[in-house]
Amino acid sequence: MLIFHLGPLAASLFSLLAILALVLSFVMLASHWLKNHIYAFAVESWVIAAISASIGYYGHYPELYVIAALTVLFRGTLLPYLVLRLVKRLNVNREFTPLLKPSSSLILGAALVIFSYEVAHRLGVALHLQDNIAVLALTCMFSLKLIGFLMMILRSEAISHILGLLVIENGIFLGSQILVPGMPALLELVIIFDLLTIVMAFGMLVRFLQSHAGTTSSRGLQKLVG
Amino acid sequence: MHFTALIAALWIVPALGIVAMLAIRRPRWAEFLNLANAIVVFGLTLTILVAAPDHAWVGGDQYLLLTPLGAWVLFCVGMVYLLASIYAIGYMRLLPEEAPRLHKYYALQAGFALTMLVAPLMNNPGIFWIAIDFTTIVSAFLVGFEKEAECIEAAWKYLIIVSAGLALALLGIILFYWGGTFTLGPTYALTWANLRGVAPHVPEVLLFLAFLLTLVGFGTKVGLAPMHTWLPDAHSEGPAPVSAMLSGSLLNIALLGIYRFLSIVDAGGYGLMGHTALLVLGVISLFVAGLFIVRQDGAKRMLAYSSLEHMGVLAIGFGFGGPIAFAGAMYHMINHSLTKSLMFFGAGNMMRAYGSKAMSQMRRVLHYYPFSGGLWLLGAVAITGAPPFGLFLSELTILRGGILSANPWAVWVMAILLILIFTAFMNHFRRMIWGPEPEPGEAPTLRLSTWNVLPMILAFVPILVLGLWWPQGLWEFFQHAFTVQP
Amino acid sequence: MANDFYGYPLISGAVEVYCEKGRGMVQDIILQVGQVLTVLLLSPLLHGFIVKMEEKVQRGQGPSIFQPYRDLWKLFHKTQLVPESATWVFFWAPVVAFVAMMIVPMLIPVLTNFPLPLSDMGDILGGGLILTLGSFFILLAGLDTGQPFGGLGSSRAVMLGILAEPTLILVFVGITFLDHSMLPFVANHLLAQNPVAYWSPAHIFLILAFFILLTVETDRLPIHSTIPYEIYMIDEARILEYSGPLLALLKWASWMKQFILYTIFLNVFFLPWGLSTSGTPGSIVLALLVILAKYGFIGLLMVGVDTMQSRLRFYRYQEPLALSFLFAVLAIVADQL
Repeated sequence: MLIFHLGPLAASLFSLLAILALVLSFVMLASHWLKNHIYAFAVESWVIAAISASIGYYGHYPELYVIAALTVLFRGTLLPYLVLRLVKRLNVNREFTPLLKPSSSLILGAALVIFSYEVAHRLGVALHLQDNIAVLALTCMFSLKLIGFLMMILRSEAISHILGLLVIENGIFLGSQILVPGMPALLELVIIFDLLTIVMAFGMLVRFLQSHAGTTSSRGLQKLVG
Repeated sequence: MHFTALIAALWIVPALGIVAMLAIRRPRWAEFLNLANAIVVFGLTLTILVAAPDHAWVGGDQYLLLTPLGAWVLFCVGMVYLLASIYAIGYMRLLPEEAPRLHKYYALQAGFALTMLVAPLMNNPGIFWIAIDFTTIVSAFLVGFEKEAECIEAAWKYLIIVSAGLALALLGIILFYWGGTFTLGPTYALTWANLRGVAPHVPEVLLFLAFLLTLVGFGTKVGLAPMHTWLPDAHSEGPAPVSAMLSGSLLNIALLGIYRFLSIVDAGGYGLMGHTALLVLGVISLFVAGLFIVRQDGAKRMLAYSSLEHMGVLAIGFGFGGPIAFAGAMYHMINHSLTKSLMFFGAGNMMRAYGSKAMSQMRRVLHYYPFSGGLWLLGAVAITGAPPFGLFLSELTILRGGILSANPWAVWVMAILLILIFTAFMNHFRRMIWGPEPEPGEAPTLRLSTWNVLPMILAFVPILVLGLWWPQGLWEFFQHAFTVQP
Repeated sequence: MANDFYGYPLISGAVEVYCEKGRGMVQDIILQVGQVLTVLLLSPLLHGFIVKMEEKVQRGQGPSIFQPYRDLWKLFHKTQLVPESATWVFFWAPVVAFVAMMIVPMLIPVLTNFPLPLSDMGDILGGGLILTLGSFFILLAGLDTGQPFGGLGSSRAVMLGILAEPTLILVFVGITFLDHSMLPFVANHLLAQNPVAYWSPAHIFLILAFFILLTVETDRLPIHSTIPYEIYMIDEARILEYSGPLLALLKWASWMKQFILYTIFLNVFFLPWGLSTSGTPGSIVLALLVILAKYGFIGLLMVGVDTMQSRLRFYRYQEPLALSFLFAVLAIVADQL
């Protein structure tokens, strides 16, 4: 919980950044071009880094500057670069077989945001929260989570699954920066590196998928059922 | 200091082993280095278990936690790792095409064991989560080791589903921590004990939401239905020793995580809801496993669904709560680890012998392999929870504990489903033993080496002993484990 | 946050809006007439400016920005031809549309940021209804003559309307949540005076949602084509049968509609500054100049929209509208926080 009290302008700034991250996840949801997804993810990570830094500034947590810098470096630069390289190597530029049209996924995403808001609102009422910013953070965290899952469900390309997972992770990171800025920094550092490892593991497996299974689409992966 | 040194040795030995295997790059050396590793690790986990403290031991600058339950899970890891290492020598030699990469396999196996030796000792739920994540990454590569299309597919599904599930668990951990900040201030050490201490001050809805998220998250890793979809793929496509380690030790660790989070909810005073949620997932798992076992043809897939079944039984056991069901669940853990290893070893042997994963191709098993086939059959009797084997005693104890619990209905559901699964299992084995003769020319000619059969004997003897005799010391240990923090 | 800025503008803003500052009745009436005249007289100029700029962007010469006035002059001097199959609707539809567009400027802040005597006739929803009434009559006119293109245009326009209406309603709901009032003047005051409200995510999303609606409602890409082929036509198809003075009325009405919608976008949502606060002649002249600058800006923005996008297929019309809907939903969610 934020123990420092935010001025109205700072609160607006936080809201703006958090919701900007949410909008970027909608960009990913609506676009079929994998490159757009990756760029949107990168920008989202930068926005989250900005949130980290501004929380560090307003709440006087100097270690959050380090986290912000590392977020920019790893989540905002290195991870998108790795995924982009993967896309180029696999030569999969586009998601051809989404289950729903972009407009329908957008509407579904909007419904998920409303659901998240409802959950966050109830939590806020149960906790007697004074700061709306916490409710906002919860909303964004749950929404990003659900949108990430929605992306993984609707898309069949392996890369889209990775990106869906990254959106989920970004949501958690965003929420944790606002809700628990005092969480031991070590943990956050380790989670950043863990994410890097897991993306590299994904990258290797995707390339195995293409070379040994002949497809990177989950629709082609039908050998194991029952 | 005493435990710190033991734990340090427990981690350093496999780490050195991995480095040596990768440096030497010779298959034969790697085999025996891995085996030596496993023997040392087994010895160390046994020592830790025997010397296990009466209370929860916290050390290593608050980062290490050793509890009786943790030591027990650790011991299961060491034991299965030893059995799998012995078996791997025999099994991997049957795959001549993998020989050039064998040192990598053993290094990965030792690495997998290492990650599993780290996780149960973590006092920080966040780092516990990360350790579990690493077990996933390493074991995904083991599952896909043979690089056939099915193996890679299984590894991919495993990694993506479990990572997504674990992300939910991370969210749950953050919500737990957030709940604590209202009482303890914005910064405090994230440990199981702190979360448990602060739980009574956290509002019910937040506590329960956080618990459900961790339950679903780690439940994905445990393979509780309906988050189990990766489990049959991963367990059936990996090499047999890996399947044994996945099923016999990894699932226990994830379950340990769930139980620790459950204890937080317990401490908060809302334990009944948490226990019931776990119980319901367990019952669903048992049900799903029963359905899929009936119509299964893949030998290892059937065993994978059997793992799902036993995880369901364990979830029900922990979900019942109370000292009796808890003791039954702990006993069940070790019995399941042993029996499932035995079953996977037998399945691996038969797959190699008949050149097929399908049970419909494995005919007249007892005729061609009277000894190892017989052990496999006995193992099948044991895994379905029939007497006189250990799983019978543990399942009975869980049922006994359940009658006294808040949810006695689950006892009956569980009993009926166990009978269904028993029937289905025996039906499959009946066909394998008394079914039609194999086609001429398809009769198995493979001679199984000692390495293939020895681990089966080593696993079989204890399950028989534990089935006939439940040592008093163990019972007291379980009762004690119930009273201290998990 | 709610207590921080909702309380202030809601009370003092509304009071300030409705406290008369000692202006005479006559002056108010002049101002009100002035608002209508502004819309009436400047709307062809805006259209001419946009057309000119679009040509410039495409490196063409382009017509003079006063060309729309000449067009109107020419059309009003032509003979009126009426198709044989036409009924009374054919004659009345342009008149109703034109009059509707002259009523709306009374309800919204065009020159002054305070309400004039007739401004409380209707709120933001009322204005929307009157705008829709005009469109509805043009729609009827398209169907009236029984010609295929008119029917085509009308049915397409109705489909777009079906897709756009829910979003429009949500935008109104959003702005109502933001300023706790349905009156455009209150919104203008709140946003002009309170940077916290102006920079709140709710408001920014409303701007985005409304901007997308604006492109749909004022015949811009990616839905409306700039190329005058019948097969792409939506709004033009409905008025293909018209000629002479009635066509002049219809064109003028559509330019006024565009002007009015931009006015709402600029003076209520996007740039709520620069309006006359006192109603003195000097401030009115200043407000007029500011308006010209603002319209130059939005005109260029629309030229950009038209230049940078390509037309969507018919079956993808819902995409920009879904996006707009999403922004409106996000705005409402953000409002609650």
